[in-house]
Order: sequence, then structure tokens, then C-alpha cells
Amino acid sequence: MTNKKAITRSPPRARAIKSFLGQLLVHNSARFGLMALVVFFAMAAMPAFLVGPLQTAINAMGDFLAPPSFINPLGTDEVGRDVLNLVVHGARTSLIIALVSTVISLVVGTTVGMASGYYGRWVDVWLMRITDFFFVIPSFVLALVITPVAVGVMGRSGDILGFRPSLFVIILVIGLTSWAFVARIVRSQTLTLRERQFVERARVVGTSNIKIMLRHLLPNLVPQIAANGALVVANAIYTETALSFLGLGDPLQPSWGTLLSLAQRAGAASSGAWWYLGAPGLCVVIVSLSFVIIGNALDDIFNPRRRVIP
Amino acid sequence: MAGGSGGRAGHHTGRIIFRAAATLLMVAILNFLLFRVIPGDPANMLLAGARSAITIHQIEAQRQSWGLDKPLIPNQLFSYVSATLQGDLGYSFKFRGRRVSDLILERIPATLALAGLAQLIAITIGVTLGIIAGWRRGGAVDNITTGISLALYSTPPFWLGMLLVVAFSTMLGWLPGYGAYSAGAAHVGILGRLSDHARHLILPVLAVTLGLIGQYVVVARAAMSDVVTEDYIVTARAKGLTNNQMLMRHAFRNAMLPVVTLITLNLGYVVAGAITVESVFAWPGIGSLTVEALNARDYPVLQGIFLLLGASIVFANLMADLIYGVLDPRVR
Amino acid sequence: MNSAFPKAAAAILEVVDLSLDYKLANISLPALRDISFQIHAGEAVALVGESGSGKTTTAMTVAGLLSPNAKVTSGEVRYRGKRLPISDEEAMRPHRWNDLSVVFQGAMNALNPVQRVIKQIAEPCSLKLGMTRDEAMRRARELLELVGISAERGAAYPHELSGGMRQRVMIAMALACHPSIVIGDEPTTALDVITQAQILKLVTRLRKELNLALILITHDLSVVAESCDRVMIMYAGRIIEDGDVAEIFENPRHPYTRLLIESIPDPTEGKRVLKPIPGDPPSLRNRPSGCAFRTRCPSAMDICAVEVPFLEIEQSGRVACHLYSAGSQEPKVKSNV
Repeated sequence: MTNKKAITRSPPRARAIKSFLGQLLVHNSARFGLMALVVFFAMAAMPAFLVGPLQTAINAMGDFLAPPSFINPLGTDEVGRDVLNLVVHGARTSLIIALVSTVISLVVGTTVGMASGYYGRWVDVWLMRITDFFFVIPSFVLALVITPVAVGVMGRSGDILGFRPSLFVIILVIGLTSWAFVARIVRSQTLTLRERQFVERARVVGTSNIKIMLRHLLPNLVPQIAANGALVVANAIYTETALSFLGLGDPLQPSWGTLLSLAQRAGAASSGAWWYLGAPGLCVVIVSLSFVIIGNALDDIFNPRRRVIP
Repeated sequence: MAGGSGGRAGHHTGRIIFRAAATLLMVAILNFLLFRVIPGDPANMLLAGARSAITIHQIEAQRQSWGLDKPLIPNQLFSYVSATLQGDLGYSFKFRGRRVSDLILERIPATLALAGLAQLIAITIGVTLGIIAGWRRGGAVDNITTGISLALYSTPPFWLGMLLVVAFSTMLGWLPGYGAYSAGAAHVGILGRLSDHARHLILPVLAVTLGLIGQYVVVARAAMSDVVTEDYIVTARAKGLTNNQMLMRHAFRNAMLPVVTLITLNLGYVVAGAITVESVFAWPGIGSLTVEALNARDYPVLQGIFLLLGASIVFANLMADLIYGVLDPRVR
Repeated sequence: MNSAFPKAAAAILEVVDLSLDYKLANISLPALRDISFQIHAGEAVALVGESGSGKTTTAMTVAGLLSPNAKVTSGEVRYRGKRLPISDEEAMRPHRWNDLSVVFQGAMNALNPVQRVIKQIAEPCSLKLGMTRDEAMRRARELLELVGISAERGAAYPHELSGGMRQRVMIAMALACHPSIVIGDEPTTALDVITQAQILKLVTRLRKELNLALILITHDLSVVAESCDRVMIMYAGRIIEDGDVAEIFENPRHPYTRLLIESIPDPTEGKRVLKPIPGDPPSLRNRPSGCAFRTRCPSAMDICAVEVPFLEIEQSGRVACHLYSAGSQEPKVKSNV
């Protein structure tokens, strides 16, 4: 490629991103997923702007367990708080927990998978044994057992990095128990990539192992990580919702799961307060489904199936 | 050749069993370590929570069997493992000193009834739908089925349970939404009791099975979709086999490989999956026991349950690996 | 032996003006155009061309194995004088394997990985010939013997066999119902040269013993020279030349054929000079007007862009090129090849 060509053409990376977005949007379902996520991310980014500060039992103004009306589009809870308000604020908690724990999972999983696939031999054997354990035991079960212990050790009051301790613990626990899935995929990809020429060349030139992994292998792993990362987020949302539902969340920073738990304890099901338990749950379903759909679409793009014409 | 492949198969089987044993050991060790990390003397906690229904003797006996006066590793670990192997899982804090193993055994049948029935229904409906959808890909029916299945798959079963209670129990009054038996059911005859139990089963089973159906449809459909594009299906078509013959003689066996694996694995997660749903319906199984223990910080019970969950999961994985080895000759 | 004039013995397979399209979302892509040829009993005909030339499509269409988005737009296929219902799955079924069978590339997944190979060979015997299980297994063993595989090896799974053995299994399977025509879809492409030679020898022997007609799809001209009587060259969905193997190799007429023959590396030449054909075959979407080869043809003329050359019947075969007009053997214009 001559210099002249380089100037007149748009940079290859921008073109690649544009073509990728184009491919993604062809999938109708992915469009729906993306739109839904944009809405929820907006809710999570500025809840107070949209619905005002988080209502508490003290400043709640509505009737108890009132059905949806003009003032309270999603009804009220058992202490009179506006459910819409709670749900929008809940978006922030739920999404942050899900995303941060996913980032942790991806980092740990990628590191373990790359190291295992690249170094091989006894490093691989031992890392894979640990990965096996975390792969087999579902993160929900591990989180269920570890969280009360961790909270017991750390106490329930105060703030860690802006999070209530129980939420902090949940983020860490989900993150540190959901990485095995990613590790396996990254490992098998690394094993394939390791044999490629560009790795050989880098090694011959004397590039350090770390540099090879970061500069050469990692960029090639990104598509797979991204496609599976969406599924990890969906799983994280589910796990956090379930844990919070069982009471391990924090009512002062309620996630959707915590709202469901509050609804359950307030007897929403037996009093027919469908708005109270329907809204947070529906949000979980939509966000989870959106991530799954996007994950599938990404997978389609990065692992194309057989074409129809021979 | 027979001897050679037999040797390879044996080696393969041995490796799987070894991996399972190693994982189980890690479960036990994690279990052990977790609950020793908590500050405070476990024996005293036992006293505090047991509302003095345990005698001093029992506390001392527990102390001894746990080896609390000896160093953590290896002595305490060893006594824990040996006590566990003998079936001694300790005493519950919350339930006034009852044995953990008794508590667990007592609650297992209810969970098995719920989860077992749910799995059975889900497998029958889900796998069949998934296979049909995957074989005849495309069209409105397929898209709708897949869409609904994905949605069900992403839906928390406990939320579904709450909605079902609101709809069928509170609003319509058709079915009970609480517990496994109505009060006074003991006085009616066997038939009455069974029908009462059945009515109580419907909503919880529905809550669990809908999500599972979604999962099975998605997996079975994907497996069948993969198989449909394979070359040996073209060969079968070239041979002049009918659609049904192609499906049953070639596609089915191959598509079932991942499905059977999923089924076997799911059996291990049966208890874990039931936890939240049992909490919604106050179903007297292991799930609600877990929640009760969680709320009361009843560590011995939690420990026992975790061991049970871990063991059943590891066992199910082992079975899945072995069965897969039987079904797929390429792996042996 | 002139391939184009009607022979004393009737052809068992006749393809008449066959045209096929692939239907995608809202467009139709032309896959085959005006394909016509005859096959006689015991004859071995090669279908040669680059990828995308339509050779596989032609063979699969003849066997009635159309892909779901393929549509026959004109013409028909006749087997023993009667029209073959290639577009109708139900009606085609009785013909499958009994009259025409296919040998796929054994290296691919053409065999069911979870079933023993002898069972797969026995399957058409029991399903199509109505044999009992024992009869079918006996016949399967016979067939395996025919291709030189022992009964013990027959009990193996496909992944336990080498590529050459899998190919033999496919051949044995293809003969199960006594077909008259066997279609070989690049059966030796994935094999090493030695195995390839063995398979070709086996195929030739079986052909003569059982008086089978063979349609061999390949891109490898050396295979053609080894085992076929006639060869048809395809380019961009059309037959552009056909004739006896010896004639084609010694005296190729169409410029594409000439370039093909010349691109075969000749180890006796002093310098190792490879002469690939410049350019790429056109994709289905961008077929040039007129003669599809004109963009790469050293002798392209103005008329080539306008008119599609007619497949002229010559004395020793057929050729579709404006360089030749009916009846002459020499090109009208001196070719630049």
C-alpha cells in the first residue's frame, strides 16, 4: 500500500467497525436488543434526572400497595414508595453489579485462559484443574455459600468504593466465580493462535512472552471474548437477581432482585400487587434477553456458519 | 484392535473419574475452609443459636469431633473429612441442635418431587419441540418458538412463580400458592391427600419447568441445526431415505449428544435450581431449608447443603462424561 | 469415437438444455445454463472445471440432490429415455441409489460418525432392497470384500479408518443397490497420490466388472487421464468443450482448455515454469456478458462480448467458442494461444 493510498482511504479500523455494526444491525433481534439496552443504560446513568432521588420509607408519598395510576405509573409498594422510581434506581444497581462483575470475570478468565493455552504443560494442567472446579460448580451456588461468610467477616455497615459492603461482596463473588466459561474458550483459541506464523515471528525476534500475549494474541481474542462476554453479563444479572432475592442484597441500594425480595416479603404475590413484582422482574428479563440476543448475533458474525451456495 | 480400544477407553474412563474425585475433594476443602474463616468459636455459636436445647455434653462432643482445639490443617481438616464420610454433618444452630444430616434427609423428598417432575416434563416437551424446530428450520412457527424459548430461558423462575401465584392463586383462586399440603389434608383419605398434593405441585412445577423447557428447546434446536447441515445427512438423502428415516436414523443420534449431556448435567443442578422457587412457594424442600439457614446464619446446615449440592453436581458431571463416552465413539 | 452423434446403443442418461438458478432473498443467480450431454452404459465421463464452474451443481442436479434454494428453470434429465423427476423429492426417491448413486469425498463427514461403517453400507440394502437384517449384513460384507476391506475393519467407526479406506467404504456403499450410474464427487481430492492411484484402479476395475457408467467430478486433469473415456470442460455454468480424453489432451480447442492443459506442470521440461491461467473465474453475481471467459481469454474478439458462443458440434467433440464455426476443425482466426 503506497502512501497515497493510505491518505485517500479511511483508516482500516474505522472501516472494520462500520462494517461490523452493519452486520450486527442486519439481525433484527439484535436491533431490538440494542435499543432496549440503550434505554436501560440511560436509566442507569442518570436515575435522579429521570425520576428524582431514590424514595425511602420516610419521604414516600403514595398509598400503600396502590395499583398503577396517573401519579404512580407503576403503582406503589408497601410503604408508599413509587415503584417506577424504585425500578429506575434499581437499574443502576443491577447494571453496575452485572457489568463490573463481568469485567472481573473477563479479566480473570482471559488471563487464566491465555496463560494456560500459551505456556502449556504443568501451568496448563494446574490452571485447568482449578478452572474445572469453577466451571462445574455454578456461580450461583458458590456465591450463595461465600457471600454470607464474606459479609459476616466484613460487617454490614459503611461503604467500600461507593458500594454497600454486601453489594461489594456480591460483585466480587460473582466476578470471581464466573470466569471459568471464558477461560475455557480463551484457552482453546489461544491454543489455535499459538501455532500461527505471526507468533513464531514474534518469538524469533525475541519479543517477551507477555508482550506476545498482550500485543499479538489478545487483539485476536477480542471477538470471541466479546461474543461470550454478553452471555456472561446475562448470567451475572441472573445470579445477582437470585442472590438479592434471597436477601443477600442491600435494601438501601436496591437492585431489581432486592426489589423482588422486598415485594415477596411484603406479600405482594398474595395481595395481587402484580405491578410491584412485575416491573423489576420484567426489567431483568428484558435486559437479560437483550444481552443473550446480542451475544448470539456477535457469535453469528464471528463464527459464520456454512453458506448456502456451494 | 479390540484390546487396544478397550485400553484407551479404560484410560479415558479412569481420567474422568480421577477428575471428578479431585473436584469433589476441592468442594469438601472449600466447604471446610469457608466456615472456619468466620470469626468466633463455632461451638459457642452453636450454643448461642440453639437456645440451650443442647446439652453441654453435645457441645463438647461436637468440639471434639470437629477437633477445634487442634490446629486447622491438617488435624481439623482430617477430622472434618472423616466425620463427613461417616455421615456426621454436625448440628444445626437454628433448629435446636438437630442433626444436619437428619434435616437434609427430611427435606429431600419434597425437592425431588418438585424438581424431578419439572425436569421430566421439560425434557419431554422441550427436546421434542427443539428437535422439530431444528429439523424444519425457518418459518414463522420456528421463529416464534425460538423467541419464546429464549425469553423463558432468560426469565428467573422465581419471578415466574410469583407471577403465577398472583394470576392463578390470588386473582383466579384456582390453585394454592403456598406450601405442599393444605392444613387438614391429613384427615382426608389417600386420594384426597394425593389430589391436594398434586394441586399444590402445579404452580411450583410450572415455574421451574417453563424455564427448563426454554433451555431444552434452545439447545436441542441448536444441536439439530448443526447436524442438519452435516455431510452425512446429504449422503442419507442421496441414498433415498425418507425425511423420517433421515431424522431418526442419522440426525437424531448425533443431535442427542449435546442434549443428553445437558440433561445429565441439569440433574446435578436440580437442587440448586429449586432454591429460589421453593422460597417463593414456601415449598418444604432443601431450597427453603437453604434460605432459612441463610437468614439465620446457620452455618453447619449451609455447609451440609453445600456439600450435598457440590457432590450431586460433581456426580452428575461424572455421569455426563461417562455417558457421552458411551454415546460418541470418537471420544473413546 | 465421436461423443456427440447418437450412438447405436441408447444413452442411459441424457441431459437436455438444463438450466438452473439459485434463488437468494430477492435475486436469482444463474448457476447452470443450457447443459446438454449423454452418458452411455459403462462409460466414464469427467466433469472438469475450477471451483464455481458448476461441475458439482451439474452432477448433484442430475442425481436429484438440489439444494433448497435451487430451481430448474428449463430443460430436463432423462434416465433410460424417461424423464427424471429431479425437482420432486418424493418421486425421485425410488430412483435414488437404485439407478444413480453418489460417492462423496470420504475425507469429509459423509459417513455418520456414530455408526459402524458396515451398518451404513447395509442400510440401503435393507431399506431400498427390502432385505432382512442378516441378508443386508451379508451383502454389506460382500461389498466390503469387493473393495478390499475385511469384515473386521467393517465393524469400525468412520474416524477409525484412514482416508483411503473411508473412500472405499463410500464406493462399496454406492454399489449396494446395483446402480447403473455412479457419480463421484471429487473422490480422490483429499487423498495422497499413492492412495489416489489405488482408488482409481479400483474404480476402473469395478466399472468394467459391473458395466457401470461413471460421472467423475474433478479439477485434477491427471485423474481424468487415468480413468475416463470422455471429458467435459465447464466454465461459469456452461459446458465449453467436450470430447474423448485423448483428443482433448492432444488437441485442445477452446482457449480455456488449452490454458488448462498447458498449466499442468511437466516434469520433463528443463525449467520449472508454472503457467497458471491469469485472473479468476467470475463469481455468480458478476458473469460477463457474452462469453464468460472473454475477460481472461488471450484470443478474445469483439463478438465475444456480445454473443454467447453456441456449443458447436464438431467431428471430434463439441466446443463453444467464436473461434470455431460449425463444421470446421481449424479456428477461423489464428488464436493467440
